[in-house]
Amino acid sequence: MIEIINPGLQSIVVDNGRYGFADIGVPASSALDGFAYKAVNLLTGHLNSPPVIESIGPMFSLVFHSNMTFAITGAWVDGTIDDRPLTSWQSIKAKKGSILKIKRVLKGFRYYLGFSGIMDLEKIMGSYTTNMECHFGGYGGRPLKKGDTIRFTFIKEISEKSMDSDTIPNMDPPHILRVVDGPEEGFFREDCIGVFFRESYKVSPKSNRTGITLAGPPIEFKEGVEKSIISEGVLPGTIQIPGDGMPVILLHERTVGGYARLGVIARVDQDLLAHLKPGDDVVFKRLSLGEAEQLWMQRQKKIKNLLKFD
Amino acid sequence: MEYLRYGECGIRIVFGDTIDPAINSRVINYYRHLKSKEITGIIDIVPSFNACLIIFDNTQIEFLRLLNTLRENEAEAVSPIESKPQIHEIPVRYGGEYGPDMGFVSSYTGLSEKEIVHIHASTVYTVYTIGFIPGFPYLGVLDKRLFVPRLTTPRTSVPAGSVGLAQLQTGIYTFESPGGWQIIGRTDMRLFDYNNPPYSLLQTGDRVRFIPV
Repeated sequence: MIEIINPGLQSIVVDNGRYGFADIGVPASSALDGFAYKAVNLLTGHLNSPPVIESIGPMFSLVFHSNMTFAITGAWVDGTIDDRPLTSWQSIKAKKGSILKIKRVLKGFRYYLGFSGIMDLEKIMGSYTTNMECHFGGYGGRPLKKGDTIRFTFIKEISEKSMDSDTIPNMDPPHILRVVDGPEEGFFREDCIGVFFRESYKVSPKSNRTGITLAGPPIEFKEGVEKSIISEGVLPGTIQIPGDGMPVILLHERTVGGYARLGVIARVDQDLLAHLKPGDDVVFKRLSLGEAEQLWMQRQKKIKNLLKFD
Repeated sequence: MEYLRYGECGIRIVFGDTIDPAINSRVINYYRHLKSKEITGIIDIVPSFNACLIIFDNTQIEFLRLLNTLRENEAEAVSPIESKPQIHEIPVRYGGEYGPDMGFVSSYTGLSEKEIVHIHASTVYTVYTIGFIPGFPYLGVLDKRLFVPRLTTPRTSVPAGSVGLAQLQTGIYTFESPGGWQIIGRTDMRLFDYNNPPYSLLQTGDRVRFIPV
């Protein structure tokens, strides 16, 4: 069992997502950094999709009430286990009574805590992940609070190991996000699209787990073009342009949308969206679909090889 | 119908470019056929007013292979399904504390509250699509006399069960959430239950009638 001493800014239970229900409006709500999610499971001995904790901000702390191994991936953190400094992207043994503390986040934004057991939580609609807007899934449909306890089943004895450092993506701003054209790319003025791929944008404080709002040169619509579309299914990573011209990147909490879609973040760069924090600079680069697919396949190959290291 | 690529993992199948009951019924037919096929690599299918979005995992199935499979299934998938649509009756308390925008709707349309309720409750609506939040039905077509714009500034919180209007649509907030539709009433009926399949009382293609209480 673990007990939360301090949940930091926000800590929620996530997994690889809730799929198959987009037709009734249920979004995936998956871990935003898919690779960090995979890596934390690998480090803690899981080959399936168990629940993990996705956290932001400093001051996170918990106490272990059982012996188990844990790991932290995603954002690099400055933390301790029983007052000994710990390293991200590495599995570490904790004993009954051990205290884990995260003092601050060094690089990136969201970090993932995984354990060598399976959290004893209920799957809702096939997934452990939290739908925060509608309060279901995860830990009673809400972020973790001080005093919350989570029991574990199947705690495995595993050896400590670390992730090969060249597989860990760079999370420092300025973030370079590669983009393929979206369905309504033709709705926007060509000079504005030119500016979009040339200038940099700043992550707005209005951003949240549903979408990242950017501030920068506005994207204007061509003369006489409708400024919205008939609501339709949307993909994660879609760049929507509302009436004020400020791009919004959708994450994993919406199934339909009514704004014109300028582009889609290439799949290979979508994990990076988990690490865009208010004030960060973002630069967009245009890619063809073929290039985006190729980059994704290359990345998959690298991750596949990684799975063999055990 | 047109097959259009959307990002690396999406195919949009577009059946028309307007909100039209005939176009939407083709979308729904297509969606039901495709869903029953359970094609490997398709993760989600999102039917909407005039299009169907297929979300696939390109590490499980290549785009061109999936496109071929979809084309092979096309003839069958667009043939109409003979089935009577499910009709749901939804009790609504109109106006007062349940319908904070009734006053605005009345002044915008020039209709009395009684007329608004009568018009709203005398149409049998079709569920064109479900989304934005789980189980939220986009219902149409609303009587033209009830056309109202969305709120200029959306509310940060709309109570669950609220019935709203926006342009030529009406809808029901299944959960408490932010929202920009004009709220004219509220239902106590629970439209989404994440513990019990099929989870959403309303499914795309179903019919809805509001009953004033």
